[in-house]
Amino acid sequence: MNGANFVVHALIEQNVTQVFGYPGGAIMPLYDALFDGGVDHLLCRHEQGAAMAAIGYARSTGKVGVCIATSGPGATNLITGLADALLDSVPVVAITGQVPTHLIGTDAFQEVDVLGLSLACTKHSFMVETAEQLGPVIEQAFEIATSGRPGPVLIDIPKDIQVGPSVAYALAQLAETQQPLDQAIITEAKNLISHAKKPLLYVGGGVGMAKAVPALRTFIEQTQIPSVCTLKAIGCIEHNSTHFMGMVGMHGSKASNLAIQECDLLIAVGARFDDRVTGKLDEFAPHAKVIHLDIDAAEIDKLRQVTISMTDDIKQVLPAITVKPSIEQWQQHISEMKVTHANRYDHPGEPIFAPALLRQLAETMPADTVICSDVGQHQMWVAQHMFVDRPENHISSSGLGTMGFGVPAAVGAQVARPNDTVIAVSGDGSFMMNIQELGTIKRKQLPVKILLIDNQRLGMVRQWQELFFNGRFSETILTDNPDFVTLASAFDIPGETIVVKSQIDQALQRLLNSDGPYLLHVSISEEENVWPLVPPGAANDQMMESIG
Amino acid sequence: MNNTLTIEAKHSPEFLERLLRVCRHRGFSIITINATTEQQLTNIELTVSSERDISLLIKQINKVIGVLTVTLSASSRNIKASA
Repeated sequence: MNGANFVVHALIEQNVTQVFGYPGGAIMPLYDALFDGGVDHLLCRHEQGAAMAAIGYARSTGKVGVCIATSGPGATNLITGLADALLDSVPVVAITGQVPTHLIGTDAFQEVDVLGLSLACTKHSFMVETAEQLGPVIEQAFEIATSGRPGPVLIDIPKDIQVGPSVAYALAQLAETQQPLDQAIITEAKNLISHAKKPLLYVGGGVGMAKAVPALRTFIEQTQIPSVCTLKAIGCIEHNSTHFMGMVGMHGSKASNLAIQECDLLIAVGARFDDRVTGKLDEFAPHAKVIHLDIDAAEIDKLRQVTISMTDDIKQVLPAITVKPSIEQWQQHISEMKVTHANRYDHPGEPIFAPALLRQLAETMPADTVICSDVGQHQMWVAQHMFVDRPENHISSSGLGTMGFGVPAAVGAQVARPNDTVIAVSGDGSFMMNIQELGTIKRKQLPVKILLIDNQRLGMVRQWQELFFNGRFSETILTDNPDFVTLASAFDIPGETIVVKSQIDQALQRLLNSDGPYLLHVSISEEENVWPLVPPGAANDQMMESIG
Repeated sequence: MNNTLTIEAKHSPEFLERLLRVCRHRGFSIITINATTEQQLTNIELTVSSERDISLLIKQINKVIGVLTVTLSASSRNIKASA
């Protein structure tokens, strides 16, 4: 068995059944080993697409996503995907080929210092220098990717290690361990909760990553504490939960942002006080004591000084701090705010109103549909107006905000969950960023549904130019877009364009009922903005709202 | 504020790069650094300067894979003599 065969063997030992990648010179031995089977490989049409497909696979299942690329440009093309996985704490293992060890440092063909490049965009990275290291490195890579706060890990393997003889190594599976909780802190936390008059749960993506959704929902059911969530935590709380107000932050619901500003106890669960959540940090939750639960000790007191913190497993902590406070007045106030500030879908005229369209899609799509959003205005409309009840069903580039994420992430999710409907919601700017992945959809005949919301603009940048740059629309006008339906048809993907409200019902049915992939291209006005909006530098209760 | 950290880590060829990157990225300037490697262990004494709280850097260094211990060994405010 050579090194490359050993890598495939090790992937199988780590329960990997699917990888995404793109071959090239320095990784050819591994592709030769993959040719023998045992692990399914999906050829993406760009390494960035492979990395994002691995993210979509990981986020839609909770498993590790694996992507493969060659040295040099193959590896550099992975970088954006790895950074995306780092910012969103996604367990990804990337394997790159490297030039043979004797050529490293000679500026050989397709040689780049991948280990050096990886330092800022991975949780950890390895360069395999000897055959003996291969087994322990792969074992450690999977352990690091999944343990604590998950993240991407890169393994760079020189070609001579791949073709040389391997060294036998018995790979171990990671066992989950739990430490006993600090009972003094538990008591203090329960004391804070029981005495709070206006407690609020601020739920972040860490809940889903920790597989703590059932524990969270039990906590909410037993305490009846009102809640808000971050972009990455959408789906953790059932959308119709009584005191749940939806997303908080820059484009969060008005009720969420006002509740944050009024609360006297903020219980942050797997959340990190990101600037898109807090707005002006000094004025975020100004009256609140804070309980912060996060597996990553570096997040504690990083941006907000907290009253109590615990870095234990959320699944352990939430049951331990469960105590029901007496907060009827606060709950009543939350209920009233939810009604007063509910989303409105009345919209004059025939042109399509994207929020209403997305709401209708959410109401008609099958249960357990996975939504993969791209980045921009449509991403925020998805977060505001669609609803999912599992975090694995809302996949959005939250931390890095990577345009081009939606379609390859949908590829990964569809491969992972072939029996579920997967919808990529994109915008005309984002769609063009990884348009080559339509070739991946065609190759595998993946039934990915694409809802393309087209305002012939880089919409979110245009919105900010309108609001904060005196309407100077610098390089955001895309009236020279291609004919997207014709473009999709070149990849054997059928589709249609709709422009008025009366076309929506039938078009959504055709989208959802298509056996294979489908493109629904929706033309909307460039003047539609995302509301509400907390302007940069403002506190969360200073929201700008539509005057229409 | 200057702070001196004593760090013990498992040796790896790129460990110092990782450490220096974390310091720069998290807003800490390096004043002095002394590193020795023996028997697969790297020992580092590092003095950094920043207006940010040193605990933020200690936590980030603790996250670097291979770090065994991080100890704050000295703190001093760097006050320039006025002319």
